[in-house]
Parts: sequence; structure tokens; C-alpha cells
Amino acid sequence: MSDNLARVLRPNWESAPRHDTPDQKPLDAPAGQPGSRLRHIEIVATRSQRRARPKIAFALSAVAGVAVIIVAQLLLSVGISQGAYEVSRLQASQTELSRTADSVTEDLVRVSSPQSLAANAEAIGMISNSNPVYLRLSDSAVLGAPSSATGSQAGAASLVPNALLTGVPLVTQPAQATGQGASVAGAATSPATTTAPTTSTAAVPAPGAGLPTPTTR
Amino acid sequence: MGVSARSTRSGKRRIAITVVLLFAIVALFVVRLVDIQVVRADTLSADSLGNRSVEQPIYGSRGDIVDANGVVLAGTVMRYNITLSPRNAVEFTRTTAAGDQTVTVAQAAAEVGAITGQTGDAILAIISSSLAANPASDYAMVTKAVDVSVFRAVDALEIPWIYFEKKPGRVYPDGAVAGNLVGFVSSEGEAQAGLEIGQDSCLASTDGTETYEKGADGVRLPQSTVTEKAAVDGGDVVTTIDSDLQWFVQQALAKQAQATGAAWGTVVVQEVKTGKLVAVADYPSVDPNNVNGTTNPDDRGSRAFTASFEPGSTFKALTAASVLDAGKATVNTQVVAPYRYLPGNGANINDSSGHADLHLTLTGVLIESSNTGMSKFGELLTDKQRYDYMTKFGLGTATEAGFPAEDSGILHPYDEWDPQTKYATMFGQGLTTTALQIASIYQTIANKGVRLPVQLVAGCRQADGTMTNVPAAAGTQVVSASAAHDTSDMLEMVYQKAWLSKVWNIPGYRVASKTGTAQMPDGHGGYTHGYLVSVSGFAPADDPEYVVSVSLADPVKLNSSAAPAPIFQEVMSQVLKKYRAVPSGAPAPALPGTW
Repeated sequence: MSDNLARVLRPNWESAPRHDTPDQKPLDAPAGQPGSRLRHIEIVATRSQRRARPKIAFALSAVAGVAVIIVAQLLLSVGISQGAYEVSRLQASQTELSRTADSVTEDLVRVSSPQSLAANAEAIGMISNSNPVYLRLSDSAVLGAPSSATGSQAGAASLVPNALLTGVPLVTQPAQATGQGASVAGAATSPATTTAPTTSTAAVPAPGAGLPTPTTR
Repeated sequence: MGVSARSTRSGKRRIAITVVLLFAIVALFVVRLVDIQVVRADTLSADSLGNRSVEQPIYGSRGDIVDANGVVLAGTVMRYNITLSPRNAVEFTRTTAAGDQTVTVAQAAAEVGAITGQTGDAILAIISSSLAANPASDYAMVTKAVDVSVFRAVDALEIPWIYFEKKPGRVYPDGAVAGNLVGFVSSEGEAQAGLEIGQDSCLASTDGTETYEKGADGVRLPQSTVTEKAAVDGGDVVTTIDSDLQWFVQQALAKQAQATGAAWGTVVVQEVKTGKLVAVADYPSVDPNNVNGTTNPDDRGSRAFTASFEPGSTFKALTAASVLDAGKATVNTQVVAPYRYLPGNGANINDSSGHADLHLTLTGVLIESSNTGMSKFGELLTDKQRYDYMTKFGLGTATEAGFPAEDSGILHPYDEWDPQTKYATMFGQGLTTTALQIASIYQTIANKGVRLPVQLVAGCRQADGTMTNVPAAAGTQVVSASAAHDTSDMLEMVYQKAWLSKVWNIPGYRVASKTGTAQMPDGHGGYTHGYLVSVSGFAPADDPEYVVSVSLADPVKLNSSAAPAPIFQEVMSQVLKKYRAVPSGAPAPALPGTW
């Protein structure tokens, strides 16, 4: 492509205002143009020429983009590795905690076994009454034949063995209760207060004294 | 034209620079490759030792066995084996807050022993004996299956040559409660008895493996976990048992069995309207946590399922219901019951104690439990008819409960009955049943003649909560509702008027029950001097909900059905109380027993 258009041609500053050299016309200037306009004319690049021209900004932005990507990648790797240590630490902690949870669940299930409950209930003087009597609220009828509890199971040693309870103290015996046992006892008495609101649960009676009898009106 | 030429020149220059750069980079890579693969290969592979991928098992958890309310009867817990490396067992330096201190092997062994309950010398002996067997020994077991607290205590000692292995263990929180049914597993985790083996296909888990890469410091590299095979947890077996009631029943049974010196005993509690077993007690019973504590292998299972016996007089309820259903008699049909009855076919029937001829109705025959009287009713049916009734009541085949090694009982085909057996089968001799089958007979009578499949397992609960293997619950009409009702009325008369009426009295409820006293076979075709005494019945009789069947084998101190009667009374009372059965209003209809 010819590059003559790219050359900026100086206008004839001397002659143009005076028009004393009419034969000396600016090159390529249309003949009919007034001289005052010619002074500000510049030849600019065509669009295709502008496109073809390399731009430093593109190179800079590309390099900057690569740099940003590399830095981001580095930071991400650092973050992930840091996260790996964090994950590892948390997993170890989770393992420990789930071991603890399993262990205390095992203890809880063990003291919830019927043998443990019965032994503890009997230790505070509870007697099971095998003779059921019901009060029907609709007509206040007493269903069944009331009789006092004979304690069919009371006093009987547990005849249904449970090797898991060997050496486990009764939670209802304060003298033997350890810190753990006391907390289990506290948990065991709370449902009793909620499910049997008519029963006096103000204080745990002394062993042997028996439970206070609710007064039915 | 000049500019164009310059542009072409710079283009060529760029291409040249690019090519040179490319070659330079490739050359750099090649140098690096050679450096890594050849020059520094040994060093790098040594470093990579700590970078190897680690494969480890993921343990699937064996399913739980739970009772009807979700109480765990058998569960899986993580246990730890403590092992050591004998060849590495040397003294080491322990860093504590007080400073570094040297711990000798003997000290370390004593510390471990104090936690595991062994002596330090015993652990030293483990080290020396395995070194004696193999000087390069790298593995010896110190103790097996310790729990978390022991594991943590030993781990805290930071002994470098002590290692741990995870080992899933089986625990039975309720001990011997339902131990007869649940069964147990071996120390290796193999199912050995009871539901553990019977439902093993539901309970069994599959272990998986995962592989991951770890760095030199042991930290798992991110994104490197590859689960090659996922572990599959086993399903939970949901039984129909109520663990609280089961405990009560076992306790009551054990107390009376010990008081009467019985060899063994069983109690079955079944729901009339569903066929579900809510308690099946055995005495003696195994504690699955301590199987070796039960010395006799026969005591480690459930005789209620696996032992069949001649039921004796409790069986008369079946004969009476059959006769009523066939329309051959009513509750008031009269017979004369002699002490000894010699029917024409050569059989020789007598009652348990001598008496003058009794003028009894069918009701009276049951009250007096007269063999001769029942024979005169039973012979109103053909042998085939009675045999068909017996099979429809579930005799001769194991129940639907699906307990492993369940006994089917012995019921010979009617055409093989000899003259004595023809009559003996009317009052519960000459055939054998399990305690379950007797309970099922009473369930049928209580449930308007509809026999329901005996259920011990409600199903297998998968991890997603769905229940599979749910047993069929469709019943079969064995006798008509009116025949069942009449039989129930007669059994109520037995409850009221039989010689044990004071012993098994449950105030406020109408109860139908029957005793049985059967000679026990000695296993050689004859009979021993011992008796199998039993009581079966249901309550409340006006709207039956629960069947209780009690059997005691050879109670030497009280060889009559007075031995099981208190158990029946106690268990039935507890069942009625526990399930809030409404006490009966109207009294039982009075039926005449004599004429």
C-alpha cells in the first residue's frame, strides 16, 4: 500500500493568505478550496490502517492478565493447601467428637437398660403394683379392683444379667454417685416431672421411705 | 513501498524469535525431564515414599436390632485392638511440660498394663515371646476390642511402638433382655445365634475402601480422595418385642423357675389382633455380652422356638374348639367321665387322679381337665377331621416367625396313629408343639377363630427408612367365630372354677385360661418322671388383646401347674397394665360344668 497519504504535507504558510503565487497549489488539495481551510488539514490514517497498527495497550493488558491469573492461581493453591490443613484438623476434631458422642451414648443406653432402671427404682423405694386400676374421667368410674401394691418384683435381685452393668454404680445412690452418675441421675428425673405432674417430685425421697402417695380427689 | 518492506522484515524477525524461544523452552523442558527422570530419579523417588497414596478400609456398620419402640437390643460400636511392634520396642524420650524424660520398655509396658488391666510383665512377655518366634517381628496383639476411654488413655501415653486397629464390635445394651432372641456374634463378628444369624442378610454390612494421597506431614492432599468402593451399612431389624415387658417377663419367669427348681421355662406373650410377639422369655437365658457365662450351649438360644414338647391339657382347648366348630357338640353337651375309659379300639385312657364317674358338660370337662371326658368328645370327630384342624391351627409346621432352627413339632399323619395315639392327641399327648404353637392356638381362639401369622420381626429397615421383608399379615379362619367364642366362654369358666382360680386371679378382668401337665419324654420312647407344666390363656376375655403362655419343665419342688400359674398371673397383669387394657365390665356368662 502506498504511504504517501500518511505524510503530512506542510501547507504553504507564506503564499496562502496573499494568494500571490496562484500557481503554487497545495498538493492534492482540491482546487476550489479556500486557503484558510488548508492550514488545518491533516491526513489521517484510514480505519484499516488504524487496525493494523500494533497497540502497546493490548500487550500490556495481556501480560497483566497472565500475571493476574498466575497470582490468583498461586493464591488459590495457597488457600487450598491452607484449607487442607484446616480440613485435616477439623476432621481429626470430628473424629474425636464422634468418638466422645458414641462413648457417652453407649453409657446412656447402658444405664437406660431395664435392669439398671429397675435396680435404681428399687433403690429409692419404688414398688411396682401389678394390679391395674383406672379412673375413667368421663363418668368418674373406677375400673378394676383397687388393692395395695405388694411389690411383686421388689426386693428380687436382677435375674436377667447384663454384663455391661458390672461395676456401674446406681445413679440413685448419692454416696456412690460420681460426677458422671449425678448428671445421669439429673437427666433421669426430669422426664418423671413432666410425664407425671400429679406426683410430688419436689424432693427425691430417702431410700426405703417409699414414694409419697398422690392424693386423689 | 518502503514501509511494506520494513513490515515484512519485522515479521520475519518475529517468527525467528518465536522459533528460537520455542526451541529454548522445549530444550528447558527436556533438560528438566532428564534431570528429574535420570539425574535425580533416586532422590525423588525416595522423597515420594511419603507421598504414596494411602488405601484404607471404610467400615460399613452392621445394622441394629431394635425392639418395637426403637430401643436398641443389639448395636455396633467402634472398638480398638491395641498392638505393638516388638522389634521397635525400645526406650524412648517423652516430652512433657516438666521436660524430656526417658521411658524404658518396662515402664511403658507397666503404663499400658495399668490401663488395659494387664500386668506390665504380661506385656513384656508378649514382646519377648514374639521376638523369640521371629526376631524381626513387627506385630503383636496386646489386647483386643477396648473401648474409647482405654484407647484414648493408651494413645495419650504416646508410646511410638504402640499401634491401634479399628475393629467394629457388637454390643447388647440390655444384656440378657431378649438375649435369647437376639442371639450373638463371635469375636470375629460372625453371626452365631438368634436373629443375628436369622436376619444376617438384612443386618450385614459391606466394607468399602478409599484411596487418597497424603503429604510427607501426613496431611491428606486436597481433592485426592478416591472412594473406590463405598461402604454399605446394614439394615436395622425391627422386632415386635417390647424390651421393658420382655425384661419383666424374664424376671418373673426366672424368679419362679428358680423357686420351683425348674430345668427350663418359657413365656410367650402374643398380641391377639396382630399375631405379633411382644415378649418371648426363656429361662435360663444368655447374656449376649457374656456368652461364655452361659455354660450349657442349649441355654444360649430360645427354647420357646427350638424345643418342642407334649403340651398336655392346654391342648384340650383345640379339641373342644374343633368339636364345637364341626357342630358335634355344644358347651352344654353332657357326658359321663369315668376315671378310666377303655374305648373299643384297645386304647386305655385314664385321668390324672382317681375319681368316681363324673357327670360333666363339655365346659365341665375342661374345668376338671378330664382326659376321659375329652376323649368322649374327641371321638365324635374322625381322625382326619381332627388332623385337619390341628394343621390349620399351625401344628406340625414351624411358625411364620422365621427364627433360626425353629422346631416344627411332631404331628404324625392321622393314618399312622395307633389306637392310643388316636386318643392321646385329643388331650395333648402323642404329638409335640413348641410354646409358640400353643400360644398361636390360643391366639386363634381369642381372635374369633382367625389364626394370624406369628410375627417376631416387623421388617428390615433400610438406611433410607423403607421397610423391606415385611411379613404377611393375612389370617386364616380356622374355626368359626361362634365356636371360638364358645371355647373362650368355657375357658373363662376354667379360669373361674379350676383348682388354681385363687392363684391366677387378676381382679377386674375377665380371663380365659387353661392349665396343662404333660409327662416329658425321655428321648428314648418312654417318659421321665418329670412333668412339663403350663398355663395358657388370654385376656380381657370380653375383648381379647393378649395371649400369655407359660411353660415350666420339670419344676422339681412343685410338680404341677401351680408352678407356672403365678407367672401367668404376674405377666398377664403387667401386660394388661402396660397396654392399658380396659378392665372388663360385665361378668363372664355362667356355664354349668356338671349335670
